[in-house]
Amino acid sequence: MSNSRAKYLFLMPGVCWILAFTLFPLVYSFGLSLTNYRLGKNPKYIGFENYAEILGIGDEKVDKKAVSTASFSAFLFLGSTAATLIFGTFVAWVFNHNLPFLRQMRAIITMPLFAAPIALGWLGVVLFNEQSGPINNVLEGLGLGRVNWFIEPMPARFAVMFTDVWQWTPFVFIVVLAAMQSVPDDLYESARLDTKSNWVLFRSITFPMIAPALGTVMLLRMVESLKIIDIPYSLTRGGPGSVTQTYVYYAYEKGLVGSFQLGEAAALAYLMVVVAIVVSSIYFYRVRERFA
Amino acid sequence: MAAETNSLPLTAPQSPKARASFGDRLIVALAIICTFIAFSPFAYAILTSFKSQWKDGSIIPFVQFEPDLQNWQTEFGSGGPETFKALRNSTLISLGATLVATTLGTLAGYGLARFKYGVGNRNLVSWFLSQRFLPPVATLIPFVLMFRDLKLLDTLPGMVIVNATFTLPFAVLIMRDYFADLPPEMREAALVDGAGEFTTFLRIALPLARPALVASTLICFAFAWNEFLFASVLANRDWKPYPMLVAGSDTVRGIDFGFVTTRMLIAVTAPVILSLMVQRFIVRGLTFGAVKG
Repeated sequence: MSNSRAKYLFLMPGVCWILAFTLFPLVYSFGLSLTNYRLGKNPKYIGFENYAEILGIGDEKVDKKAVSTASFSAFLFLGSTAATLIFGTFVAWVFNHNLPFLRQMRAIITMPLFAAPIALGWLGVVLFNEQSGPINNVLEGLGLGRVNWFIEPMPARFAVMFTDVWQWTPFVFIVVLAAMQSVPDDLYESARLDTKSNWVLFRSITFPMIAPALGTVMLLRMVESLKIIDIPYSLTRGGPGSVTQTYVYYAYEKGLVGSFQLGEAAALAYLMVVVAIVVSSIYFYRVRERFA
Repeated sequence: MAAETNSLPLTAPQSPKARASFGDRLIVALAIICTFIAFSPFAYAILTSFKSQWKDGSIIPFVQFEPDLQNWQTEFGSGGPETFKALRNSTLISLGATLVATTLGTLAGYGLARFKYGVGNRNLVSWFLSQRFLPPVATLIPFVLMFRDLKLLDTLPGMVIVNATFTLPFAVLIMRDYFADLPPEMREAALVDGAGEFTTFLRIALPLARPALVASTLICFAFAWNEFLFASVLANRDWKPYPMLVAGSDTVRGIDFGFVTTRMLIAVTAPVILSLMVQRFIVRGLTFGAVKG
């Protein structure tokens, strides 16, 4: 068999799979977003009317719920990304010391990362429970008073964020730790002649050396934070009201629950696809050299 | 071997002083606190799952703690048929998806590591991986209609297709990276001996890539096992996987904490244990190769 034919035979099954099950659905979804499709009714082509309705273009009023859910997604996009980066980097700094037992503890820290988010939402229901949950008990024990996690909007938003941060901090941790461990030791040794301050060492050596990995992990976290749906689904059901409903959760509800307004839901989802394409383009622009 | 030698300095005391310095103790204390924060919710869930009568919580879960197995008995005893069916579904779906994703990913990964393609290998790899960046709802909506027309709703093949699709990028990336690190001389020597491309792949490259195959298999399995969103729409009766039971824990009998935590623990056990086995592939796999672990 000739070399040139073999090389395509290796690649083709995977390419065909993605074409059939990712690209085709995306095109289909775009077509759907241009219709008023509802389950059980004949769809009609309506052009970009769904988009106009969501964004409030022309004589349409802006979809208030799209805006409010998008703002909660933005809250997670900023808050969850920032918090996981800060905590993850701190934990990585702690574990980047040559001390006994750290290696064993490291494995335990990565555990939340692989737990099903839908299950972690339920775990949150137990932990954040207003009456008997351990979090409120600890807060009360510390004299900070109890928090109505599921009744008040802001605490509910933070409950979702904390659960997500707890799950994803280990991800930042293992990536940043890998980056820290690749910093050559002699850099530190020569710098220690000038300073004893850990903070100066971190700021002048560690941070610049791990910055590329931090950038990578930040972009990945941003993308993942926009996809959050499982945790609010089981933790808060989007409530109280819809203050903890994320944008994708709203699209899911619109298209796949109740009235099944698939056309509008597809348009909602497609706006998110545009955001995802922008972020992933930045990501691959940064890392594609590695794939050559 | 390399991992062994790397770990030596970690356990050997760095300073010649016999007693640990204050700084070192502080670091160990911080490490213990971090580990506690990561693990204590699981520990709390374990304790709660052994409580059948939820008494008003106390700050220390051990107080007034009379462990019993009632929640576990309900889940595997009276609720057994439903539990075992969902676990069977989850297992079959995850295994099927892992098989498809790892097979396609290994072939594509080998191709991308060994040959040059006209459109540019890095573009192809990015193209494979970019799929992970899409919001799942965007493909879920058309999947509903496609699956309805293809009669794939609530079937094993349907669920395998969905899960294989979104785990494929991990497989492609992990396998490509590993094949790219194998010395090219091996392949060239086999080719000179007259073996074809596929024989070389099967006899030479594939056996050497066993660690990556294991990692790819376990990571794909863990992600498929955790998948809830697609299942909630595409498989809500006969092929309901276990996360669907977890999601519906409250509708059965209100929110019973012991019961909820029992299901939660059953759901997280398999992927968490699997992930502990592939620690050294996680960094690369989850950053799509951008950071070397």
